[in-house]
Amino acid sequence: MEEILSVQNLTKYFANKGIFSSSKIVKAVDGISFSLKKGEVLVLAGESGSGKTTTSRLILRAIEPDSGTIFFDGVEVTRESKNLDKLRMQCQIIYQDPYAAINPRMKVSDIIMEPLQIHKIGTMSERKKMVIDALHEVRLEPAETIYEKYPHMLSGGQRQRIVLARALVTKPKVIIADEPVSMLDVSVRAEILEMMRELQEKYGISYIYITHDLSTARYLGQRIAIMYLGKIVELGPINDVLFHPRHPYTQALIDAISEPNPDNLYQDKKIRINEPTDIDVYQGCRFRSRCPYAIEKCKDEPPLDQVEKDRLAACFVKIN
Amino acid sequence: MDYISVTDLKTQYKTQTGIVHAVDGISFFLEKGESIGIAGESACGKSTLGLSIMRSLQGGKVVSGDILFEGKSIIKISESEFTKKYRWKEIAMIFQGAMNSLDPVFTIEQQLHEILKQHNYTGDFNAKASETLISVGLNSSVLKKFPHELSGGMKQRIVIAMALLLNPKFVIADEPTTALDVLVQAQIINLLKKLKKDGMSIMLITHDLAIISEIAEKIGVMYGGKMVEFGNSSEIYKNPKHPYTQGLLESIPSLKENKKPKFIRGNPPSLINPSEGCRFYERCPHAMEKCKKDPPQFKTESGYVQCWLYE
Repeated sequence: MEEILSVQNLTKYFANKGIFSSSKIVKAVDGISFSLKKGEVLVLAGESGSGKTTTSRLILRAIEPDSGTIFFDGVEVTRESKNLDKLRMQCQIIYQDPYAAINPRMKVSDIIMEPLQIHKIGTMSERKKMVIDALHEVRLEPAETIYEKYPHMLSGGQRQRIVLARALVTKPKVIIADEPVSMLDVSVRAEILEMMRELQEKYGISYIYITHDLSTARYLGQRIAIMYLGKIVELGPINDVLFHPRHPYTQALIDAISEPNPDNLYQDKKIRINEPTDIDVYQGCRFRSRCPYAIEKCKDEPPLDQVEKDRLAACFVKIN
Repeated sequence: MDYISVTDLKTQYKTQTGIVHAVDGISFFLEKGESIGIAGESACGKSTLGLSIMRSLQGGKVVSGDILFEGKSIIKISESEFTKKYRWKEIAMIFQGAMNSLDPVFTIEQQLHEILKQHNYTGDFNAKASETLISVGLNSSVLKKFPHELSGGMKQRIVIAMALLLNPKFVIADEPTTALDVLVQAQIINLLKKLKKDGMSIMLITHDLAIISEIAEKIGVMYGGKMVEFGNSSEIYKNPKHPYTQGLLESIPSLKENKKPKFIRGNPPSLINPSEGCRFYERCPHAMEKCKKDPPQFKTESGYVQCWLYE
C-alpha cells in the first residue's frame, strides 16, 4: 500500500525555564519515525506526557519541530510553505474537547464554512451546499435546521460531529483524531467511532487516532504505535501488539484495562510495573525505572528493532 | 436491618428556567460490608445523589424521601447534629476533581491537620496523619511536600487519605479514577479494593461500568434522575433487564472479544420539568404506548427494574 504520510526522526524538546533554577529540558518527542498508509488507521497510544499530542501538532506544523522531516503525499512539507498549505487543507484535526474546539459565538454554518473561506474554495452558494453535505455526512439531521444553530444548543456528541463535519468539508486525505471520544458519554462514543470508520471506507480517509484507550483503539485501528516519554516503544499490527505484547510497557497498559465482568470483584488487578525511582529517565531505556524486567544492559538505550514481520519493539528483554 | 437504605429520595435545584429534578424518586439499600456502584451518563443525577447523602448540596434541596444510616435517619436531624455525628466521621466523600482543589500554598501535613482541627480530633495529629498516608500507600515524607510536587496519582491518594482521616465506615467516591492515566487508575482500584477488605463500604459514582465491576457488589443504573435498575452486580452484568442498561453494556468496546460496540440513539432528556412517562422513551428500541406512563418498580431477583417490559 502507498504511503500518504511519513514522519522521519521527528524531534521536539521543550525547555522548561524556571525563574530561579536552571532550565530543564523535556524531550516531548524524541526522534520518532512512522508512516501512514492510504486508507489506514494508525493508533498512537500512551499515557499523558508520552508525546502523542505533540506529535500531532508537529505534523500539522502548529509547532515547529527541532528536527526531522515530514512527507505528505510524496512531498516534503517541513520546508516549503506552498506544500504546507496543501498539507493544512488535506490533513485535518479533531480535538478532544468538543466544548473548547468550536467558537460559541459562531453559528454552525460559519464554523463549518470557515476552512472553505480560508482555503478559498468555491463560491458562496457552493460553500453552502458543501456545508449542508458535510452535515448530512455526520448525520446531523435535519441539516437545514442545525445549519442555523449555535453550539450551546447542541449536546456534546452533536458538537463533536460538528467538529468532524468541519474536518470533512475540505475533503481531507488524512484526519488526525486526538482523543475524539474520551470526553463523550459511553453510549454515544460508538456512534462517532462508527461514523469515522464509515468515512474511512467511503472516501479512503486515513486516520491517526490518538488515544489512551486501547479498547476503542482496537475497534478502529489497523496498526498501533505505543509511545512512552517521547519514544515509540512498540509498533505493529494492532491485534498482534495487543494480544502478544513484546514490550513490558505495552503489557502493563493492557493489564491495567478493566472490562465489565462481575468476577473482577474477587481479585486484585495485576500491576506488572514498579513504582518509579528517581533515576534520570533520559539515561538508557526510559522505562527502566518502572520496568519489572530491567537488566544491566538497559542502561544503554534500546533501539527500535524488528522483532517479527511488520513488528518493531525497543526493548532488550523482549518479553514473550 | 439494612446498613444504608435510601427511600424515594427526591432532590431538586431551582433555576431561572424551571425546577431541575436531578434526583427523582430513588430507592436502594445496602447491607453491611457491601459496596454500590452508581452508573450513568453525565447529567443523570448521580453526583447529586452522592451530595444529597453527604448533605453537601449547593443550591439544591432534598424535597422528600429518607436516608437511613444504620437504621437512623440522617435527613431528619439538624445540620449541626449531622456534622457532629456523621460528616467525615461515619460518612465521607471523595469529591470529583478534588485532587485539583488541594490548596497550593499549604503543605499536605497542614491540610490534613486542618481537617483534624475542624473536627476536634483529640489524639496525636502527627501520628494520625502519617498512619492514614501509609494506609493509602504513600510514604510519610509526602507530609512535608506541597501539592505541586506530587503526581496526579499521589494527589488522588492524598484526597482519599483526607476522606479516611476520621475512620468513616461509608465513603462516597465521585469519579475517583477519571482523569488519571490507566496505570495509575489500576493502582487506585487496588487501593479501593484494599480499603474494602479493611471493612469499609464504598459508593462508587462513575460512568465506567468496567470500574464498577472491580469494586461493587450492587449496582444502581441511573437515567434522567431515576434509578432505572438496581440489583446485584453479577445479575446486572450477566442479565441486564432495562433497555438502557443493555445499551450501556453493549456500547463498551471490548479488548478481548470481537464484538462491535453499539450505541444508544438520541440525547439524554432535560431534567427541567420532565413530562410524565419513562425518561428513556425517546431513545428506547422497545418503546410502546404504555411507556407514556411512569413505570413502577418491578421486582427482580436481587433488586428492581423500572420498565414496563417486566410488568
